[in-house]
Amino acid sequence: MTTLAQEFSKGILKENPIFRLLLGMCPTLAVTATAVYGFGMGVSALFVLLCSNIVISLLKNVIPAKVRIPAYILIIATFVTIVDMSLNAFTPDLHKALGIFIPLIVVNCIILGRAEAFARKNTLGRSVIDALGMGIGFTLSLTILGIIRELFGAGSVFGFEVMGAAFQPMGILATAPGAFITLGVLLGLFNFIFKRLGIE
Amino acid sequence: MDLNLTAIIFVAILANNIVLNQFLGICPYLGVSKRIETSLGMGMAVIFVMTMAAIVTWVIYNVFLVPYDLVYLRTIAFILVIASLVQLVETILKKINPTLFRALGIYLPLITTNCAILGVALLNVQAGHNIIQTIVYAIATAIGFTLAMVIMAGIRERLDLADVSSYLRGAAVSLVTAGILSLAFMGFKGIMTL
Amino acid sequence: MRDSLRMALTLLIIGALCGGLLSVVNGITSPLIAERAMAEFQESMGRFFPAVAKVEVEEVNGEEFYSCYDGSGKFLGVVGQVKAAGYGGDIFYDLAVNDAGDIIGIRIGSHGETPGIGDVIEKEPFQSRLIGRNFADPISAGVDVDVSTGASVSTGGMINSVRRVMNVIGENFLGMEVEKAEIDMSKVADGTYTGTATGFKPDLTVEVTVSGGKITNIEIVSHGETAGISDKAFNEMPGQIIDAQNLEVDTVSGATMTSQGIINAVFNALK
Repeated sequence: MTTLAQEFSKGILKENPIFRLLLGMCPTLAVTATAVYGFGMGVSALFVLLCSNIVISLLKNVIPAKVRIPAYILIIATFVTIVDMSLNAFTPDLHKALGIFIPLIVVNCIILGRAEAFARKNTLGRSVIDALGMGIGFTLSLTILGIIRELFGAGSVFGFEVMGAAFQPMGILATAPGAFITLGVLLGLFNFIFKRLGIE
Repeated sequence: MDLNLTAIIFVAILANNIVLNQFLGICPYLGVSKRIETSLGMGMAVIFVMTMAAIVTWVIYNVFLVPYDLVYLRTIAFILVIASLVQLVETILKKINPTLFRALGIYLPLITTNCAILGVALLNVQAGHNIIQTIVYAIATAIGFTLAMVIMAGIRERLDLADVSSYLRGAAVSLVTAGILSLAFMGFKGIMTL
Repeated sequence: MRDSLRMALTLLIIGALCGGLLSVVNGITSPLIAERAMAEFQESMGRFFPAVAKVEVEEVNGEEFYSCYDGSGKFLGVVGQVKAAGYGGDIFYDLAVNDAGDIIGIRIGSHGETPGIGDVIEKEPFQSRLIGRNFADPISAGVDVDVSTGASVSTGGMINSVRRVMNVIGENFLGMEVEKAEIDMSKVADGTYTGTATGFKPDLTVEVTVSGGKITNIEIVSHGETAGISDKAFNEMPGQIIDAQNLEVDTVSGATMTSQGIINAVFNALK
């Protein structure tokens, strides 16, 4: 039996959704032009993941196995819509920047994947821990990517100028090709780090 | 009426390619693009489902959601429609055309979670396309997806033979390759705009 | 049978609960969203006209124009929510013009221009080339207002669009006589004239032949336009201008910038 601490940390390191499982790549690439957007996307997904894991874990004995996938999709889509509306009401700028990628959290493989692989087989407590670990792992990865792209692409981090006036921003990092290349290089870097740390 | 169809087609396939510029459908793009044949198969399945899904979601949105002021239910309605549609296509195809089913069958379940399908449905209603523009946009986008897949598969077949550092093998080097492809596709920007 | 009934029922109940929950959340958030949109809108008008108290909206050719009035009902100016053709699609922006016809502000909304290149349109050095210009001033990309090197499409598109919007505002809201790109042919002596303007790219040069007080021939001398796309404009525009004997002609769709460039070049040749 894995301990709760292991359950939590696996989402951040061993089974990091982005760098280890390669899930949820679309928002990862699309919204990480700046650190704030990456962080915002991560937290939105974390919220949906947490809520859907809780509900699905609670309903695991109620939902018949044959119709579980449509039921999960319904539940996830509901929480996604709630996030969509709340962001629009309270943080309009973020809502505008994330745009179509908020409703697309529905088809983010991480969320349906955790419901199917974890929440429907585990207790409420473990499902919450799992969701937190995975969600934080996702948020951290997106934020790191956002920080790197913003730092070199615009010379700032979380909107604060850090590179000084002499720095010429590498505009390419803020564009589509920059997203692919940065993620690719980071992925290689993390493979290297994980190997050195002995995490397979 | 000026439907601007040429521009829609050009932009959807090249200038604003769904994968390389809009980051939709990355999962199948990285997952299935290992061989040219499978890429083509996946591409065909996407063209088929994306067009159907775009039509059905357009009708649902404009006939049910807008008149009854239920636009906030669009995400939930669209994803349910797409999931059932994929199931339906699978069942029907199995009955009436087993050959085509064998060719496309394995790709169909993967398509439900292909965010490009839901993405195109959402983009269509966001852009306020009419039904003709919707169909043309969906087909062109799916062709753009297939094009990106096939190009990528061609490169990856060669890449398998290349001496790549073990840390970069697989997804990492594929992403960098996709970045360079995306850079090339950026060259189409500005030739024609919507 | 009981099984499938149970399945259907479970799904139905979950669906109903989800729908109910969403309509509640929608009930809470939609007034907030509407309120915020209104506040944002007021603020964006207030940015240009701090004294604004009342706004009237009017639609002209599918674009919205807001006439702003202060507390006592005095007309302050107009803000147009309009768009320009950029490099990566449409550039949506607000253009504010005061009651005297001066451009007092530009705010770029969403656009698809390349970061680090085309997004100069958002920055002050570019915008200051336009702000302060009056309705009566000539505003022509590459002639009166410089385009930015390396971002000629984005900036040229903006400048051409500002000219167009200024005409709309002047004509519809300020009651000003629009100075059409009109040439008094009676004042043009016979001969051959050369003129240059910016189309999609700079340096589109035409040679206009005038004889008997009429434009008889328009020759495209040199250009840097995109082959294939601009051809239609080169084939159709000279004939249209010669037929009309003025510059009030429709542009060729798909090659709008080239068409406008030809019109401007002919105007520059004969003015």
